[in-house]
Amino acid sequence: MFGYLQTQKSELLIKDYEAYKSVYCGLCKQLGKSYGVLSRLTLSYDCTFLALLYISINDDDICVKKGHCVVNPLKKCMFCTENKALKFAAAVSAILTYYKIKDNISDSKFLKALFFKFLSLFFRRAYKKAKKDYPVIEEITAQYIQEQFNVEHDKNVSIDIAANPTANFISKLIMSIPNTNNIPNLLLEKFGYFIGRWVYLIDAADDYDKDLLSGNFNPFVDYFKNKENTRNDVSKYCNSVLNFTIYQINLAYNLIDFKQFKRILDNIINYGLPDMQRKCLFYKPFNKKKK
Amino acid sequence: MSNPYSVLGISESATDEEVKNAYRELAKKYHPDNYENSELADFASEKMKEINLAYDTIIEERRNKRKNSDGVYASTGYSSEYPDVRRLINNNRVADAEQILDGIPRDKRSAEWYFLKSMVFYKKGFLEDAFSYIETACQMDSENKEYQSAYNHIKNARNGEYGGYNVKKNGSMPMCSCCDLCNILVCSDCCCECFGGDLIGCC
Repeated sequence: MFGYLQTQKSELLIKDYEAYKSVYCGLCKQLGKSYGVLSRLTLSYDCTFLALLYISINDDDICVKKGHCVVNPLKKCMFCTENKALKFAAAVSAILTYYKIKDNISDSKFLKALFFKFLSLFFRRAYKKAKKDYPVIEEITAQYIQEQFNVEHDKNVSIDIAANPTANFISKLIMSIPNTNNIPNLLLEKFGYFIGRWVYLIDAADDYDKDLLSGNFNPFVDYFKNKENTRNDVSKYCNSVLNFTIYQINLAYNLIDFKQFKRILDNIINYGLPDMQRKCLFYKPFNKKKK
Repeated sequence: MSNPYSVLGISESATDEEVKNAYRELAKKYHPDNYENSELADFASEKMKEINLAYDTIIEERRNKRKNSDGVYASTGYSSEYPDVRRLINNNRVADAEQILDGIPRDKRSAEWYFLKSMVFYKKGFLEDAFSYIETACQMDSENKEYQSAYNHIKNARNGEYGGYNVKKNGSMPMCSCCDLCNILVCSDCCCECFGGDLIGCC
């Protein structure tokens, strides 16, 4: 996961921001506790989003405690105490990170590969533990990585097909959350599918320039191959594709009756995602745009 | 009886949601509980009856209208080439529908074929393919309202009308180009010169 599912702070109530922060810090603590200090580095907004969803779907009660932050020991912060949602999100984080490092080993050159190999030794233990505790997540992830690999090595892959594995992955991940709130499964399936699709596509759109140079697989680069276009056309096209996906997210989201963190989730869907599109596509101050 | 819309204090063009909200507000106001033990209780219950009646009338009226228009839609109908495929799609049996559509030879694929294929993709979540097929359907049969309205809907969604980032609405970030910089400098120089100073020495 890549850190695209963020809130837009300026539109958040302070109390909601604090609640969000407490889940974020709680997840960091949980990672440290379950999988060792080093895995705290894998903390991401996406896994925080997953933890929020878990709490909301499973309707867990959460406890908040005050404690010292590891990164900045002078600062005190509020954090969620250990619960099922945090454990779940931490496991997802550990498993995904391990797969991502393995992917990097095969993708990079000798020295870099050696470095990743070194890293993977550290994360292997975390991965094994997570796999033991949550075999379902491991299974879903392994299948996802395999499908993604197949897609990227096929010829003539459309944008929809390229996004399909990630979309299915998030969909299955969200469906695997115990649903005590009796939310209809179809709604969760669709919601997860389009969230996953959006995450994949924003990542592809964000990496457009990089992949154009390096020649790595990217559905948008493929789409614009042999076409006359300016960089702005590309951004606009990507934006349309993402908007259409957000529309589909909303169709499902508006029908789901989330009990907890409703305002935070609203914020992420209605402000966080569109703003991420703006940042990734239209406002990259340090990236000189090529015409 | 007076106009049900004026009883609820809304215009006839109000959406269903607005009707409901107006009804809720009034019902809260005139609820019998508020008037318990009051001399005015009878008036309130009279008013409440009037509101209930008005609300029921509007809802009933709208429901009938919708039914009729649906009926018209179905009967004047688009005489479909593929009624069974349409039925399958409506019942969410997307894979079956796709199989039938794919079995139709390339040279026999009509505008409706592209439209139905687009619906199949849409239900699968393959949004971009859905968009390109509906586009083709509209190009092949530009008169058809059914294709056109589906196409417009998707286009609006892509433009960010229903959420997402709308480039036009939000405007692009003002970029300070080289040209702007020169303009500013020249203007500042003129201003300074007006007041006896000078910003750019050579002119």
